[in-house]
Amino acid sequence: MTAVSGETPRPYAGAAGSAPPARTSGLIAATSGRFISRGRLAISASYWVAWLSFSRRTAIGTGIQREFEGLGLGALRLVCAASLLVGLIAIFQIAYQLSAYGAEMMSVRAIGWFTARELGPVGVALMIVARSAAGIAGELASMRANGEIDALRAMGLDPVKYLVAPKLAALLVAVPALTILSDALITFGGWLGSTFILKFSTSFFLDQYRVAFELRDLVIGLAKSILFAFLIVIVAADEGLNAESRVAAIGEATTRAVVYAVIGVLGVDTVVNAIFYFIPVLA
Amino acid sequence: MKRPALDVNGLTGPAAAPAVFDVSLSVAPGCTTIVLGPIHSGKTLVLRHLVGLEEALHGTITVDGESFSACGETEAVLRRMRTRVGVVFQGAALITRLSALENVELPLLEHTNATAAEARDAAGALLRDVGLAPLDPAVTPSQLDRAVQRRVALARALALRPPVLLLDEPTQGFDPHAAAQLDETLARLQDANGFGLVIFSHDVRYAFGRADQLYVIADGAIIEHGPPDAIRESDNEVVHRLLNRRGAA
Repeated sequence: MTAVSGETPRPYAGAAGSAPPARTSGLIAATSGRFISRGRLAISASYWVAWLSFSRRTAIGTGIQREFEGLGLGALRLVCAASLLVGLIAIFQIAYQLSAYGAEMMSVRAIGWFTARELGPVGVALMIVARSAAGIAGELASMRANGEIDALRAMGLDPVKYLVAPKLAALLVAVPALTILSDALITFGGWLGSTFILKFSTSFFLDQYRVAFELRDLVIGLAKSILFAFLIVIVAADEGLNAESRVAAIGEATTRAVVYAVIGVLGVDTVVNAIFYFIPVLA
Repeated sequence: MKRPALDVNGLTGPAAAPAVFDVSLSVAPGCTTIVLGPIHSGKTLVLRHLVGLEEALHGTITVDGESFSACGETEAVLRRMRTRVGVVFQGAALITRLSALENVELPLLEHTNATAAEARDAAGALLRDVGLAPLDPAVTPSQLDRAVQRRVALARALALRPPVLLLDEPTQGFDPHAAAQLDETLARLQDANGFGLVIFSHDVRYAFGRADQLYVIADGAIIEHGPPDAIRESDNEVVHRLLNRRGAA
């Protein structure tokens, strides 16, 4: 008896042959449950997006347009302002680091190398996470707390079709479009910095940029942005739909959605980069 | 003899942690049945089972002659069952991202072949039926007061002309005048459409004034049922306590 002996219970030491602690098995079960739930949601949402593409039902169509305006066009100012600043920051930082080797001129090439493939898609994805993942999870969790999700199911309507698929369809279009815009504005920011601060000429900027930039980078960047859009919607919607039916759960779901979506975006990006690194023929 | 609008047999659930036990009830078409019990007695849980929002351990639900298992039915079967049972939740539960009118159109667009224009006309007619003046198509549920929200939810629940309508605490939060008005509307709709009405309520006075049949529920089990007069005469101790506390009888 611990209280009598005065000893404090020893924490689990992971000894061979002993049973794993309940906390660890609980964590594994929760993590695998989360993956299963997201996998199901991903399949269901993909099916309904495909269905929506052929549907003429106006109620659903209006839903996609509404989501596109809210999630896509609504992020326009944020993406524009942030991309321009990222372009300026990138050119200054790279030029500063390369100045030690007398290679400031290479900073323009670095913008060409990284923008379309990394800075644009990942930057936009993180901005969409901050803005929309939180919004999606919060909206669905609040609908759950208000009984709206149950009401939809009780009417024989699939909440994924009505609530998740329109958001997915909207972001699958909006995120690549915002990525192209972001690529352009990061490049513009780089041009501003290189021309007005570093005093390179515009023709020099364009020559260097043309050497570094490849159309393949843009295609890979856009493909990644589609993956990111899919991941953000699925993670955020899953957190929102599985939130508990109480008001305090809305904030918790929102926080979890942002955290998991950020980790997901960076994780997917790491895997994609690792594939290109280890299989150069794909890069 | 007419077949029941709703017949529930041996409902026990939810499967994960049962909290309602062996619930059986029968609702005749055009009649009002009230499931009466204190708060947390299992009323809402029974309602959730009846529309497939909870999976039961066992039990069968028969809606207008068609039987469904309360456990393990496929989504397609549940969907068919749900189109035959209208439900108005306690908080109305209107979809806030849609307008009030779109809320009523939604089941029509999903479950019938109505065009958008036809669904809009039908939704307008349903709103008139539940006693509402024509609504601006852009009005959202949050712009409506609670009584109007409840009526919009009622119109939505009746959109597919279900043979049975479930209402969870329909007059909660209403003043007596608003409650009486809603009751008049329900009675008129019931006379016109003949649906079986099941009301889940903790309000003893309301239940005794409104019900054709009463089921008294406590701790997840039906402990007494019958016409209100028979329930008044019941010698069940729990029923006595409920009646005396609320002062209905």
